[in-house]
Amino acid sequence: MSLPITAAKAEQLWFCVYLPNLPLEACGPGDKDLAVIEEQQGVHRVLLAGAHARAAGVLPGQSPNAALALLPTLKLEERSVIREQQVLELLATWFEQFSSFVCIAGPDVLLLEIAGSLRLFGGLKRLRRQIATGLDAQGFEASLAIAPTPLAATWLARGRRRACVREPANVMAALRNLPLSCLDWPPTVLESLAGMGVTDIGDCLRLPREGFARRFGVKRLLQLDRALGRLPDPRNSWRAPERFCADFEMTEEQSDRELLLAICHELLQAHEQFLLARQLGTQRLLFTFFHLKAKATSLPLGGARADRASDHWYELLRLRFEKLVLPEPVIAIRLRGGTTQALHGASGRLAFHDRVPREHYYSMSQLAERLAARIGNESVHGVNAVAEHRPQYAWSTRDLFAARAADALTRVRQGIERPLWLLPEPELLSMDNGHPLHQGRLRFVSGPERLETGWWDEYGIARDYYTAVSPRGAGLWVFRNRGRQRGGEAAWYLHGIFG
Amino acid sequence: MPRTSDTSSLEKLLENPRVWRARSRTGPAEGLSSGYAQLDRLLPGGGWPRQALTEILIEQYGIGELQLLMPALASLCIEEPGAEAVEPGWIAWVAPPFQPYPPALQKCGINLARMLIVRPKNDSEVLWSAEQALSSGTCAAVLLWPPVLDDQASRRLQLAAEKGGSWAIAFRPLSARHEPSAAALRLELSASHQGTRLAILKSRGGRPAVLHNVL
Repeated sequence: MSLPITAAKAEQLWFCVYLPNLPLEACGPGDKDLAVIEEQQGVHRVLLAGAHARAAGVLPGQSPNAALALLPTLKLEERSVIREQQVLELLATWFEQFSSFVCIAGPDVLLLEIAGSLRLFGGLKRLRRQIATGLDAQGFEASLAIAPTPLAATWLARGRRRACVREPANVMAALRNLPLSCLDWPPTVLESLAGMGVTDIGDCLRLPREGFARRFGVKRLLQLDRALGRLPDPRNSWRAPERFCADFEMTEEQSDRELLLAICHELLQAHEQFLLARQLGTQRLLFTFFHLKAKATSLPLGGARADRASDHWYELLRLRFEKLVLPEPVIAIRLRGGTTQALHGASGRLAFHDRVPREHYYSMSQLAERLAARIGNESVHGVNAVAEHRPQYAWSTRDLFAARAADALTRVRQGIERPLWLLPEPELLSMDNGHPLHQGRLRFVSGPERLETGWWDEYGIARDYYTAVSPRGAGLWVFRNRGRQRGGEAAWYLHGIFG
Repeated sequence: MPRTSDTSSLEKLLENPRVWRARSRTGPAEGLSSGYAQLDRLLPGGGWPRQALTEILIEQYGIGELQLLMPALASLCIEEPGAEAVEPGWIAWVAPPFQPYPPALQKCGINLARMLIVRPKNDSEVLWSAEQALSSGTCAAVLLWPPVLDDQASRRLQLAAEKGGSWAIAFRPLSARHEPSAAALRLELSASHQGTRLAILKSRGGRPAVLHNVL
């Protein structure tokens, strides 16, 4: 059975979220005694006021003193555009659950392309309700509008019309009565248009196109055409950062370690949510504990494999936190996630062969992580053999935490006997009449095996290796250094032990 | 596993893994073949005690103390073809005195991909690491070189080995011979010009014995 291929026009439907009170809401949720002030031409003016302040008669445009006289408990907060942008980005991240195309279209406007999401969310009405409820729960007052073009949706939302236009043919009718103040045109333009008796979009559209373009700029004419869908209006999709970073700021300094751990746990849970939404995991995390005076304390965590489970990270954190020395009480905690990688779900195995009940056990990587968390990454490793003649280079450590720890291992076949123990550095043996000593005179069992190699780099060797037995019965691997001793007797070294 | 609730308190006590009865067990659990027939014959269960602590007391390194274990260790980390559900176990080396030398290990048949070297920085971490490795259930064997190992620590290792189903091997100096230990098996390995001498000092469910030139 083949699916019918319909050459459907790529229809778009834009959902606009306009946040008129964003400066106020960015200051923190639910503070009704708050007013945001902004400096305009050197004078501070009230920009927006909270519910209580409005009830007391505080209005936008008032001077801070006048507002304080009206409501003595009024809290004044300077407007912060940066904070607003951060809040907007957080909101955009939240919106990514509804659409793969979210766009920050202005300082207080978010756009979502929802034509592709309607079916998943059970229709336009439900989607709209879900978004409205979510915004309300987060304490945002938003004006929502839906239209086939991004500009039309934006203007309708700004005009506070609870409009929902689905057909491109109906856009004109919906926009016609919209006042020009909904457009972000400069006041001078609006004034001169008003002087001509042009107050809404419908009036604008009735003006001759050439004259309009000449007097008010081609850009504005293009805007109108885009809003009506006569011209395409491509937008850039906003992408949430792939790395997690979150701060927790405390109102006062804290030194209660249990409390600090609890906050870290919360941060880890947020981190898990973040990664879960992206189907990602990470191998590294960095906690930073900020103090008022002392330098910040950082606590990096690393795992043997990418993971996002907060419980897993919390377990590692607790092990490390036990030993962490905090010079001062903590005022803020930051969690920064490491580079992420795709995390593929694994299917569970059906319990047909149950040799050992393994539920309460943990895997090798978890064991290595636990060990490394307490005694350090460099103290936990694997080993590998290297095809190399020089004994000290014939092996290497294997990083169990590397992304591809399961690399193929080198297989080196050696016919000659090698000791199970190798000394980190060859140990110089004392001599008696040209005989090497170790607990007494050595008895040679086999040898010499001449290893004279490595002339191509600066670590070349020229040695004769012997297997020897000490008077007390220990099997030793010793060598006589053949190089660089003119005169004097050759030096003997102990290099390995036949354990 | 659900148990009937009317087990008597004595039976409950005897079920406690810390209690062991000298020879009352109905046949010892199957041991892990040491690869040395002479030794296997003397060990209860015909081999190294699995899921228990073995202590090897040595006077010095280099008398074949690792060689004694190699056949058994190699058999633990072999990847069985077709048994993909069961991963071969890891072999953890906790605080080894020197570097275990991979070319020689490979020659003995050890799967290097299953080697885990742990070098803790202080004494208490040696025991902690060994206990973690033993109880994790991923390590088939854990070799450790503890600086000290008192009665209580050996008991903990013994319990961790039972919990994780892992074979613990602790190397200790000869001077520890008279210290009490909870190990299931205690061996003394010494060497002279005549050859090596292996003495079984304590063997749960077995008898003390002496072997010469087993290696």
